[in-house]
Amino acid sequence: MRFLLFAIRRLAASVPTLLIVLAGLFMLLQFAPGDTVDALVAQMGGGDSAMMEQLRKYYGLDATATVQLVRYLTRLVQLDLGFSAIYGKPVIDVILERLPATLLLMASSLSFAFAGGLVLGVLAARRVNQWPDGVISTIGAIFYATPAFWLGLMGIIIFAVNLRLLPAGGLEEIGAGHTGLRRAVDIVWHLALPTATLGLIFLATYLRIMRASMLEVMTLDFVRTARAKGLAKATVLRRHVLRNALLPMVTLVGLQAGTMLGGSVVVESVFALPGLGRLAYEAVVQRDLNTLLGIVFVSALLVICVNFLVDILYARLDPRIAN
Amino acid sequence: MRLTRRDLLVSTAAAALAGTRPDVSSAQEQPKRGGTLSVHLPGEQRILNPAIRASTGVYIVTSKIVESLVDLGADGKPTPVLATSWEATPDGKTVTFKLREGVNWHDGKPFTSADVQYTALELWKKYLNYGTQLQQYLDAVDTPDEHTAVFRYARPMPLPLLLRALADLGYIAPRHVFEGTNVLENPANTAPIGTGPFKFVQYERGQFIIAERNPNYWRKDFPYLDKIVWRVIADKSAASAALETGQIQLSTYSALSLADYDRLKKDARFDVSSRGIEANAFNNTLEFNVRRKELSDVRVRRAIVHAIDVPFFIENFLYGRGKPATGPIPSSSPAFYPGGEVPYAHDLKKAEALLDEAGYKRGADGIRFALKIVPIQNGEDVPLLATYIQQSLSKIGIKIDIVNLDIAGALSAVYRDWNFDLATGWHQYRGDPAVSTTVWYRSGSPKGAPWTNQWGWQSDAVDKLIDDAASELDTEKRKLLYADWVKVINEELPIWMVTERQFVAATSKQLQNHHISPRWDSSDWHDTWIS
Amino acid sequence: MQTLTRFLGNPVALIGLCLLVLVAAMALSAASLFPNNPLDLAGRPLQWPLSNPRFWLGTDVQGRDIAAVMFYGARVSLLIGVVATLIAMTIGILIGALAGYYGGIADEMLMRLTEAFQTLPNFLLLLVLVAVFGSDIKTVTIAIGLVSWPASARLTRAEFLSLRNREFVEACRTIGMRDMQIIFREILPNAMPPVIVYASVVMAVAILLESALAFLNLSDPNVPSWGNLIGGGRAVLRTQWYVSAIPGVAILMTVLAVSLIGQGLNDALNPRLKRR
Repeated sequence: MRFLLFAIRRLAASVPTLLIVLAGLFMLLQFAPGDTVDALVAQMGGGDSAMMEQLRKYYGLDATATVQLVRYLTRLVQLDLGFSAIYGKPVIDVILERLPATLLLMASSLSFAFAGGLVLGVLAARRVNQWPDGVISTIGAIFYATPAFWLGLMGIIIFAVNLRLLPAGGLEEIGAGHTGLRRAVDIVWHLALPTATLGLIFLATYLRIMRASMLEVMTLDFVRTARAKGLAKATVLRRHVLRNALLPMVTLVGLQAGTMLGGSVVVESVFALPGLGRLAYEAVVQRDLNTLLGIVFVSALLVICVNFLVDILYARLDPRIAN
Repeated sequence: MRLTRRDLLVSTAAAALAGTRPDVSSAQEQPKRGGTLSVHLPGEQRILNPAIRASTGVYIVTSKIVESLVDLGADGKPTPVLATSWEATPDGKTVTFKLREGVNWHDGKPFTSADVQYTALELWKKYLNYGTQLQQYLDAVDTPDEHTAVFRYARPMPLPLLLRALADLGYIAPRHVFEGTNVLENPANTAPIGTGPFKFVQYERGQFIIAERNPNYWRKDFPYLDKIVWRVIADKSAASAALETGQIQLSTYSALSLADYDRLKKDARFDVSSRGIEANAFNNTLEFNVRRKELSDVRVRRAIVHAIDVPFFIENFLYGRGKPATGPIPSSSPAFYPGGEVPYAHDLKKAEALLDEAGYKRGADGIRFALKIVPIQNGEDVPLLATYIQQSLSKIGIKIDIVNLDIAGALSAVYRDWNFDLATGWHQYRGDPAVSTTVWYRSGSPKGAPWTNQWGWQSDAVDKLIDDAASELDTEKRKLLYADWVKVINEELPIWMVTERQFVAATSKQLQNHHISPRWDSSDWHDTWIS
Repeated sequence: MQTLTRFLGNPVALIGLCLLVLVAAMALSAASLFPNNPLDLAGRPLQWPLSNPRFWLGTDVQGRDIAAVMFYGARVSLLIGVVATLIAMTIGILIGALAGYYGGIADEMLMRLTEAFQTLPNFLLLLVLVAVFGSDIKTVTIAIGLVSWPASARLTRAEFLSLRNREFVEACRTIGMRDMQIIFREILPNAMPPVIVYASVVMAVAILLESALAFLNLSDPNVPSWGNLIGGGRAVLRTQWYVSAIPGVAILMTVLAVSLIGQGLNDALNPRLKRR
């Protein structure tokens, strides 16, 4: 019960922020040159002004910006995200169609980065200032500095085109009608390269945080006490150090949840994945305000959820926080 | 200018060759039934209804599902599809189409003249881009019986123009699905119902569209293919990788990068050519905002044109695919091409002389004046040309700033806000100058209409030539009128057609009977098969 | 001073510093090594490195001398990185300081604003800003600064929250110092270290953001930038991959330099992490 109240309070606190964001973005986009009808006409390669006038009325673009904003917000409070100009479908449907691909990509690359960063961070901390530490940290730093799109393109060239080991793009083999386990395997195969691309770059950050965190914790009093008590190094590591060192890692997951969607724009476009990132980019280029704002809305909700989970996890890891 | 004997010979030879190509099914290989063809879809269209949206991006999918009154045959002439024959009255104001019998829509209902009447008056005339203009003088469509449709026009409609245009602008939608509904919101716009060889199955946004064989197709024993899958791949490198790994067998309308076409050309598994896409020629354009003081002087415009070395651009940036244009009518349109030389050859000295003569001397820093160029990015070569123009004009003392806008922004900046000095993009020629070409020169287009005359330039002589040619019934006279028109606009130069180009397709050699007509990619593929 | 010694004694930081000096040297020597406009057509496009003695790094898609663009591009990347970071840090520090020092309603409102910016994925906001305001290099730099300030605001605020109740601040208030003086002359210098370290992260991200924009062809085509080279080379990636690879390596090096320096600063300011 307390839990639910807490959750609702959290959600309620974010509502004003969300409204500022959406209204702000809406007004900002009014200043973009060209509107969704121009984008539609560009896509078709031709159009006459009678048709364009008609379409503008149809999309409600003939009203003033303030009127449009009020209409939008009124719909929003009824949880109606509106109609997508690009797809002619309700925005919520469009987003739900694209959400799985992004969630899958994010979940897998985050997990890969978290797990990899954890293992390598611990390794580096255990051998701090010796050569394994140096090598791991250097490789981590290099991946962190690599542009994601470049890494992705290199991956496609090496693994998909030259070695023919992995698919060049897409989420799954279309038209093949796989189901169940076969389909899952197919998707895993297709997500391997995109996950590696995003994952390797995130991994560098997790690695660095884990290493720093481990080093910090290892010098703390309670660890020295445990060692003094005679506990083996590995036991100390597992039972005491790790738990505490994980806290900043978990915080990072929360922080990164927000940047995820932005980072996925480029990777999704390079690997032709039908996700929210590319949808957002399309929405900007085609001036589909409803879709763009809908994505921001959903992404904000996601960030709030993730941060909420992070806080819970935090409390579990560090009992001092829960009280 | 008349067609020379040589031109005639060349085009006849080409036509003859087209009929005897090795990969057209001959006695050696029998067409195989079955198989799935995967096609590259570079972008998603909002509306999959060719009766209200004219675009190759729409045709590549929908023309297999929905059919038109006519199509273009291997010889480039209109051939019967849903219309079996046609005739026009001598005054050109009435055109009678006899319609095919025994044709059913995919939902089982019969195709009748009522569908044609509805589509022409409610869809083509009111919604179809370029169709609204083509059919602007269409008064009524009579349906004396279920298989006859009589088009009545207020002004003479040249039959060759109408037929050629109907190949693209003549798709028929089912009346019983659209009548009485909100046309733009009708679900059939994303789940098309037609009479074609393939039936729509599924549209997974951002991923694919699937269509499968129509078992009740009116061409007995066709189509050969079981299924067609269009894969949405927005990224060009991803698309060429997909082609090479066999995920798709066809990518057309220059959807891959020029460099990839050049590379795939050398790969024995693929056919890379412009064959079968001759009906859609296009130009790179250079558009002048004649309102700008410097550009209002025709000598300045000519100087700018003289400064660009077009053959160099084509050779080095287009991998040799293209020719310098002699005007807006391409040489691949023998019915209208007036021939002639490139109007202003590359000549830097002449360019500098013209600018000096016009009174724009170089300043202390070597610059005469500065201009902004807006690229309208229909293709990857547009920013290349914009940069090349920037580099070329700096040699004659004109400083160019490239304004990088996305396409919606560019279209509105140039055609609505007139916020540009120079612009560069594509002009598409659709078989007849009256369809989408003359509108670039004729005055009277409202502000904001893209790809129309928004240059601040107007000429009564040119307007008259355009109007006369649009309603001239005599084919020869019409051609001469357009030849005169080209001469005048080349002198006045409100815009310059820089290059003349064809689209390129990359096709897997497994595909048979492909690219056998001038608009094959937008045709119905009923006789295409996979070996 | 001790910090500086520690910083210079750290091999990681030294490598970063050397790389950065290298990049800066490229930027400074560009005009003398390549006197012509790097954006001009220098020769036939897409010539391989070392195939033509005039172009030891080859030519790009537009026929430009890649070596010239690389050297002039160093200027652009460093400038964008530095200016965008300055903008982001200035805004962030200002907002964070005011929020952390005054607390209460000011804090509430400023944090809502910060949260608003953080809720929006920063690359998306960047896309929108570029779509609205254009791709001119000044606009792009400001836009990158505008999407990067939230984290430094939070950091500064955290520092101010902990520092504002210290005795030396109490002392300042007692002697009647004005708020602005306390904020900028007393607290801020003490709050700076973690914020400075974060500046290196911001700079790294700024350079990567610009290259991502250029990759999508949304950056300024009138300046020689590494990102534009990569974007232009995208079409010929399969055959003339060097057009994208070379600037990709340069971006990698620069971002690496900046983050290594940041890491070195961090280690130098937190010495106990270095020892076991």
